[in-house]
Amino acid sequence: MTEIEVRSLRKRFGNIEALKGVDFEVKSGEIFAFLGPNGAGKTTTINILTGLILKYEGEIFYRGEPFSPHNLKFKKLIGVVPQHNNVDRDLSVEANLKVHGYLHGIFGRRLKEAIDRVLEFTGLTNHKKRKADHLSGGMKRRLVIARALMHNPGILFLDEPTVGLDPAVRRSMWDLIRSVNSLKGCTVFLTTHYIEEAEILADTVVIIDSGRVVACGKPDELKRRVGRYALEIYYQDRIEEEFFETREEALERLKSLDVPAKIREVNLEDVFLKITGRRIEV
Amino acid sequence: MKGVWAVFYREVMFLKPRFLKVMLSSIIYPALFLLAFGYGLGKNARVGNLDYVVFLIPGLITMSSMNQAYGISLEVHISRYYFKIFEEYLLAPINRWEIVVGELLYGIFKGLIPAFFITLYALISGIGIRLNLVFAICLLLHLICFSLIGYVIAMLVKSHADQAAFSSFVMVPMIFLSDTFYPIEKMPALAKYIGYLFPLTYSTKLIRGALLGIDSMVTFRNFALLFTITFALFVIAIWVTQRAEVV
Repeated sequence: MTEIEVRSLRKRFGNIEALKGVDFEVKSGEIFAFLGPNGAGKTTTINILTGLILKYEGEIFYRGEPFSPHNLKFKKLIGVVPQHNNVDRDLSVEANLKVHGYLHGIFGRRLKEAIDRVLEFTGLTNHKKRKADHLSGGMKRRLVIARALMHNPGILFLDEPTVGLDPAVRRSMWDLIRSVNSLKGCTVFLTTHYIEEAEILADTVVIIDSGRVVACGKPDELKRRVGRYALEIYYQDRIEEEFFETREEALERLKSLDVPAKIREVNLEDVFLKITGRRIEV
Repeated sequence: MKGVWAVFYREVMFLKPRFLKVMLSSIIYPALFLLAFGYGLGKNARVGNLDYVVFLIPGLITMSSMNQAYGISLEVHISRYYFKIFEEYLLAPINRWEIVVGELLYGIFKGLIPAFFITLYALISGIGIRLNLVFAICLLLHLICFSLIGYVIAMLVKSHADQAAFSSFVMVPMIFLSDTFYPIEKMPALAKYIGYLFPLTYSTKLIRGALLGIDSMVTFRNFALLFTITFALFVIAIWVTQRAEVV
């Protein structure tokens, strides 16, 4: 089943055309990654899909129904983890979750159960009474995720979920995102500029650059389009990549070089590089 | 109505650790005015048949409760532009008017703090004020009006500097030109005309009239003007919130 369908999505901010006709589909139950450099249009797309931006051109369908930003039905369906940790710093973890519960019409015993459930799921049970401001960056991120899960959304949007987190916390966040997808059966739509994150987590990847979708598919499919092996050649003033189907081909080319070079497996950045001629700059 | 409660709950929880500070500041400010104008400059002064202190007390109630109700402006602005908590409201399955009403209730709640303490002082010190339903209704309308001004300004301005400019050019002149400390009728012509543009003039007249039993101040005209301004502000508040996007 198609969860979200986006057709010819366009958005302009003054003279800047942030989205130039974006099309994609998100399938039910998958982890869908929107990969691209900063300024590519990832957050703008999420903001439109979640109703935070009201004016745009194009069509959006949720489960086959046309989306309208003011229709509350769609808002019940989604949970959003924004790029910044917009927790209420002066409130306790529990009070933060209470506010979200009330906003979604969850009261009384149901509210208490929902709070305990999401705290346990995100590993924050022992921090229930702590002021949100006293949590570490990773914990605040978990709190934002816990908050977004309070009302059992069918689709969870995560905008750059691991930006600014150290590698260990990032990995634990990946586990959490996988659990949201597999244990809660939640479709996950995430944006990222981390290649590794998209490769590890995503079932489907859309690569976006300067407001246009430049590639779309399963990570392995996308990489196959480039080749299997990449040869990184370190010239004095630049690094160049060449792509090969077999390791032997790559090795043969390596032997013919008189500058240092390295063979590695192709990744999604190579796909981006091959299509746009640039690296994903963050 | 779940949105109204959620917004109000969030704001009250935010206020909770600051309550003592807010309470003290909302008492100190009018207390200084009372000392300087009421018991200092105006010790032996009279306004019509009234002792100046008696004339001043309703003005202090409207002025200080206005400050607190309007003060939500800064909090809404910070939550929208800096902490981005306002996004949570925009993302929630609630009608946008619920956000306005939730913030409005918070503004009323804050405005009641100084109103309560000044009224209490007036009752304890024997200043002859009468608490009645007309006073309650007029005070409520007054607080709604200034909470809405605060909310609308928070939604429209883009920075603290703009907000400060609005306070300097509108709110401060309003305090001094709206019948709070001096009868507007005795002001120079230009100041009088400016004063009549401000809603505080009408709410002060209504509240003073209700508290001191001066029927000539509790007029349909004053009430209708205050009600019309408040209603227009409510419509504007809904309009700006309906169009609010992520910032």
